[in-house]
Amino acid sequence: MIKFENVSMVYETKQGNAALRDVSIEIDRGEFAFLVGESGSGKSTFLSLVLREKRSSAGAVYVAGQNLNRIPSWRVPKLRRDIGFVFQDFRLLRERTVFDNVAFAMEVIGASRNQIRERVPEALKLVGLQDKARRKPTELSGGEQQRVGIARAIVNKPSILLADEPTGNLDRKNSLDVMNVLDRINQNGTTVLMATHAHELVSDYKRRVIELRKGEVIRDESGGSYMPMTTVIKQDGSREVHFGNAEGPAADDTPATAEEPTATETKGNDQ
Amino acid sequence: MRPGFILREAGKSLKQNIVMVVSVVLVTFVSLTFVGASVLLQMQINQMKGYWYDRMEVAVFLCDSNSQELNCAGEAVTDEQRQNIESMLASDDLAPYIKEFAYESKSEAFNHFQEQFENSPLLNQLQEGQLPESFRIALNDPEKYPVINETFSTIPGVESVIDQRDLLEKVFQLVRVASASAAVVAGVMIVCAVLLTGTTIQLSAMHRRLETTIMRLVGASKTSIQLPFIIEGVIAAVIGSLLASGTLWLLMKFLVQDKLANDNLGVAFISTSEVLLVAPGLLLIGIILATISSVVTLKRYLKV
Repeated sequence: MIKFENVSMVYETKQGNAALRDVSIEIDRGEFAFLVGESGSGKSTFLSLVLREKRSSAGAVYVAGQNLNRIPSWRVPKLRRDIGFVFQDFRLLRERTVFDNVAFAMEVIGASRNQIRERVPEALKLVGLQDKARRKPTELSGGEQQRVGIARAIVNKPSILLADEPTGNLDRKNSLDVMNVLDRINQNGTTVLMATHAHELVSDYKRRVIELRKGEVIRDESGGSYMPMTTVIKQDGSREVHFGNAEGPAADDTPATAEEPTATETKGNDQ
Repeated sequence: MRPGFILREAGKSLKQNIVMVVSVVLVTFVSLTFVGASVLLQMQINQMKGYWYDRMEVAVFLCDSNSQELNCAGEAVTDEQRQNIESMLASDDLAPYIKEFAYESKSEAFNHFQEQFENSPLLNQLQEGQLPESFRIALNDPEKYPVINETFSTIPGVESVIDQRDLLEKVFQLVRVASASAAVVAGVMIVCAVLLTGTTIQLSAMHRRLETTIMRLVGASKTSIQLPFIIEGVIAAVIGSLLASGTLWLLMKFLVQDKLANDNLGVAFISTSEVLLVAPGLLLIGIILATISSVVTLKRYLKV
């Protein structure tokens, strides 16, 4: 469904720092994958390449069998109709009702009134908000707002759903609600790729984890957890990062170590 | 993309941005009013020139029975006199001065008069036959008019010799200056209108960034993202052009037709029908300029 072949992405303005370096990865139809990594590790670049907001500097990005570097720009809207996108900050239109927010995604691609009347309630039902269709986003909790965002992302029945830190602005309970919705959508056959910092969620859900670091894939495992990386402080005071399961014997060669997760971001941080 | 949806979005955009839109309307209105005024002044010059002005500037009017001129002595020109004048015009003596000449009969004169004074109340008072016949002369050198005047003014059958250029050129100069000034103001104002339209569309695009981001990511086409903004600009321009056309029409009706034309019966004036000719042009200019400045602005400020 999504395939990266030796993809590199270099921003001219930045000091030679590649946003992505020789990334090769394949995500199959119907898969659920977490994309983790620190800020600046290349997660956002990864997502924007899938959406063809940018073109890769080298290598090829395939989405639904199309080489995105090859398709002309007038075909891009068609590509994006097959991809749903969930924002960290919800991006709901405040002056419109929940129903109208979801309907907006259909209206702008020219769906008929009948289709809208049929599909919007369906999508709201899927995210558990069928009773709040007439509310304004401001009257909803953060979790509910994000579920509206998800309903909007899937109302056009895309085969891929991208979520950029969808739980980034939410507390644990609301995050779980959102995760359950994403899980349900995935079970309906939609490929889900979720960029996140939320380690507990990643660990709890035991799905495929792709970890990026300075633009490179440093881990790709199914049923993984977030950041099995530990910092080991050696006796001489130097630090060393070990990869592997946090509960595992990561510190076996250094008896006097303090294990600490080095996740520099905490849940709730922007980016 | 449904037209209804695009129009609704344009309407929302317009409402959110109402102050800027009103200023675009006003600037467009003022600039197109000046464009229209400049064009109408040119049309006024053409109207005053009448049929012969650009073709043959000197007129040798021939006597008719109502003539008050001494030279005519109350007698209409005879065929013999007319032939005499014509042969003089064709003679070798005058050949170096005269480029060409033509005869205008009474009925031709009446037709040309009708064209020129179509908007004047004079038209109803005049009947065919009341206007004199004439010879119209184009000179090789317009400055040599006195030669023609001297030659013909005392010839039997000639009522008067008139140099229209001498009569009208001063008036035309004034009108041309007015027209050119209006054109200059119009040019400056159009630049203002284009820039202001661009700024307004830019602001509008910033206001609606959320909408356009969502539209882009759910796969709305470039057209359906950009069209509401362009329509917003075009609507403002259309209102501005209609105001300009309306203002010109009112000015023409109450200032020119009802006042100037009545006070100056001898002058041929343009009328509201000329405004109706100019109005579609103004509308078109407004729409084209608004479209261009919107499209250029969106290209720079709206990611699609």
